[in-house]
Amino acid sequence: MSQKYYEFFCPVKVIAGKAALEHIPYELTGLAAKRPMIITDKGVRAAGLLDPVIAACEESGLDIVSIYDDVPPDSSTSVVRDIAGIYRQEKCDAIIAVGGGSAIDTGKAVNILVSEGGDDIAKYSGAGVLKHPLKPFFVVPTTAGTGSEVTAVAVITDEKKGVKLAFTSSFLLPNAAIIDPRMTLTLPPHITAATAMDAMTHATEAFTCMAKNPLSDAYATAAVKKVSQSLLDVMDNPKDTNGRLELAQASTMAGIAFSNSMVGLVHSLGHATGAICHLPHGLCMSLYLPYVLEFNLESIREPLGELLLYLEGPEVYSATPASRRAEASISAIRKLRDQLYKRCQLPRTLKETGKVLESQLDHIAEQALDDGSIMFNPKEVTLEDAREILRRAWA
Amino acid sequence: MLLKRIQPMVFQTRRLYVDIMFQVMGRALQAVSEVDETVQNDARALPEGLLFEMMVMPDGPRLIVEHTGNGHFHYHGESAPRPIDLSIQFKHIAHAFLVLSFQEKTAEAFAHDRMLVDGDLSYAVRMTRVLNRLEAFILPKLIAKRAVKEYPDSLHLPEKLISAARIYLKVATNFVETARA
Repeated sequence: MSQKYYEFFCPVKVIAGKAALEHIPYELTGLAAKRPMIITDKGVRAAGLLDPVIAACEESGLDIVSIYDDVPPDSSTSVVRDIAGIYRQEKCDAIIAVGGGSAIDTGKAVNILVSEGGDDIAKYSGAGVLKHPLKPFFVVPTTAGTGSEVTAVAVITDEKKGVKLAFTSSFLLPNAAIIDPRMTLTLPPHITAATAMDAMTHATEAFTCMAKNPLSDAYATAAVKKVSQSLLDVMDNPKDTNGRLELAQASTMAGIAFSNSMVGLVHSLGHATGAICHLPHGLCMSLYLPYVLEFNLESIREPLGELLLYLEGPEVYSATPASRRAEASISAIRKLRDQLYKRCQLPRTLKETGKVLESQLDHIAEQALDDGSIMFNPKEVTLEDAREILRRAWA
Repeated sequence: MLLKRIQPMVFQTRRLYVDIMFQVMGRALQAVSEVDETVQNDARALPEGLLFEMMVMPDGPRLIVEHTGNGHFHYHGESAPRPIDLSIQFKHIAHAFLVLSFQEKTAEAFAHDRMLVDGDLSYAVRMTRVLNRLEAFILPKLIAKRAVKEYPDSLHLPEKLISAARIYLKVATNFVETARA
């Protein structure tokens, strides 16, 4: 697939590794911020993950002025408005989002309101509405999968209208993403597995879909390699700090890759399944990945074959005939899923989830066809194609 | 030197080509929605009264169609009766030319960041499917293969010829009616 033109943009400063949290005060000072607010959720606070963040700041004489710890799993316009109110009341001047996708998206949306003014976040929805840089914004991910710390998108539910509002602007990107292995050390096994497979899917789709480009390819392959090499080790030894850091970095790298080259049908099906059956995103990604790769096979044979090197290493790659590498890559992903099923029962089929009815498959297929990411899938997808993939993924 | 002299003419010709193609496509969208059931099924999910625009930024040629209900489109020309609901915008006339001269597929143009969507993305996906279907009908297979991601296997020659003839007839009639008006 020749690529005649591409764009690549990632201005986020990545601060990663041992004692990364301790860099927050210095980085905030560099942006003239003195009164940061933390946005997080109850789970993160209960797990004690805020403690090292607060300690790192206080030790440097930087007080966290306000902590909002009630972000729901699906953040809403009213939550965003409330947090913006607290930010203004407390005269904060920076935001630190600590958490997974929802806390990070909420942080992005709050930053729009406190920077642009007003209480109605809905009027900033859409692409390219924002025209100015926003307030200093840092992200500390506590899962290793979404890549939200390096994406220019936020999704917030408008509970009055019952719709999801998407916000897209490069100004939503945080000033810094702080990747500290302490933040993912206590992730339970099934979340570790699902979120890592989310990163794996981001990287695989970024590498095989229509908007792939040389720069995103570099990030995608590195992410695939890190997940392949570290995921099972971390599943066997959850306190493996190095392995945790590898997964966290893989997630960020996959995030950089897919935010510059987009994703495809795995995400279309995953978004539809998440909306209809309320299955976690990472689980949907893990579930659909091999079936969609099989569907796309003839359109992506070359890049998929190349991925074998990063999935299985140089020995297996060189021992596999070039004509069989694409199939071998799919087998490697299936093998990884089987291992995860053995370790934490991460479902491999829709039936294994126990939360999807066979009667819902048609609805999922129809909704998937309207998903924006389907545009970037390398192969055209008809309704019948989507139904067939779902039938294969059923059991 | 010669290149410098003819460059304005090249630009003018390119602009004229894009303008004419938008006029043809707008009328053809209306026509295909009267002829093809698949297009009607896709369009039916769009809200009645939805105004769709395809245009060149910042204020270049454009086509505007309205979903009048039941999967039918009405071509409004270049001016909208009210604010646009869904807009697909080429960043530059050169990018519109690449797509409309079938050097770049619509999906490729999206992947190459040549176009922006302002409005509901799911409706934009539907409209792209409709545009692909239209191109598969009205273009010779060899050219259509360059315009769409995948030429539909189910579209056989007799159906293609009959539908294309009906679409072209409706487009021509519409052109004549517009000229008379």
